[in-house]
Amino acid sequence: MPSSLKKYQIHFLLFIVILILSVLAYIQSGWDLVGDGFIQGFTILFRELPLLTAAFLTAGFLQALVKKEFITQWLGADAGIKGILLACLGGGLIPGGPYAYYPIASALLKSGAGLGVLIAFVSAKNLWGISRLPLEIAILGTTITIRRFLITFLIPPLMGIFAEKMFGRRINNIRENIGL
Amino acid sequence: MNSATIILWLIAGVLLLFSWKDGTETVKRGGTLAWETTKQNALLILLAFIIVGFVNILSPDELVRTWIGPNTGLLGILLAEIIGMFLPGGPYVVFPLISILFEAGAGFAPVITLVTSWATQSFLTIGFELPFMGWRFTILRWGMGLVIPLTAGLVALLLWG
Repeated sequence: MPSSLKKYQIHFLLFIVILILSVLAYIQSGWDLVGDGFIQGFTILFRELPLLTAAFLTAGFLQALVKKEFITQWLGADAGIKGILLACLGGGLIPGGPYAYYPIASALLKSGAGLGVLIAFVSAKNLWGISRLPLEIAILGTTITIRRFLITFLIPPLMGIFAEKMFGRRINNIRENIGL
Repeated sequence: MNSATIILWLIAGVLLLFSWKDGTETVKRGGTLAWETTKQNALLILLAFIIVGFVNILSPDELVRTWIGPNTGLLGILLAEIIGMFLPGGPYVVFPLISILFEAGAGFAPVITLVTSWATQSFLTIGFELPFMGWRFTILRWGMGLVIPLTAGLVALLLWG
């Protein structure tokens, strides 16, 4: 595949998903609902713009500020358990949705973070995410939230360790793969 | 403006301060890097948010309610994992939806599987993961993650039925 086409692979994939969803909306209630889908999307995007801006600035300054040696030492493949635990802590504390933490994870990947660290970071964000807990407690209740949290508590570090052991050597392939 | 936005702005502010202490060169480089990332991903983010908008208005909650009833055991957990992947939007949308299921009599195990599956396997999130992390990372993380909601559900089933 020519590189110019390869660059737009993901755009194309997302475009297809939008097309399928548009057809579903059309079947459900005609063109009005298709229009509503776009309007809803733009509305949410507009609402999240302040968060997006902060996320991109954080990612940018993080990359500019943190020296490669620091990342390699603390979050690189050789950082071991220490790096994975640090990543879990960071993932658990960082607020915001996927449009906020993936730019940050991407910046870490580009700067030399190891696979286990990145898997641990994303998993901890998803399962420990402190910023989401109050809402989970408020809506689903204390019992469900505490049980869910306890059951999945060990998963982020374990996933990180497992990923590093199994696929850690492929981190360069993974790094080259960003933005394809 | 929600608390996540405020906290992230604070983090950005602190990083800016540190960059400034490091020298104007670092500030410029940080700003340029932020702008480059934004430019590269602007169209992708727009597309991803249109998808979020559609999933929101298509509201598959009725389907969800039909599929996992109470006391569905192993099958319920398996279905909960699959449904969790398709659950639309952020916690503000998803938690109320799951809460309705729980009030309708769904057991602890499927509910815990649902929350976990939505948190780790959501297809909506992949729209953001792909452009920033590449497909190799995404497939690896998502593939490894498939066992997590099932394991969580099984443990919940054993402990609390």
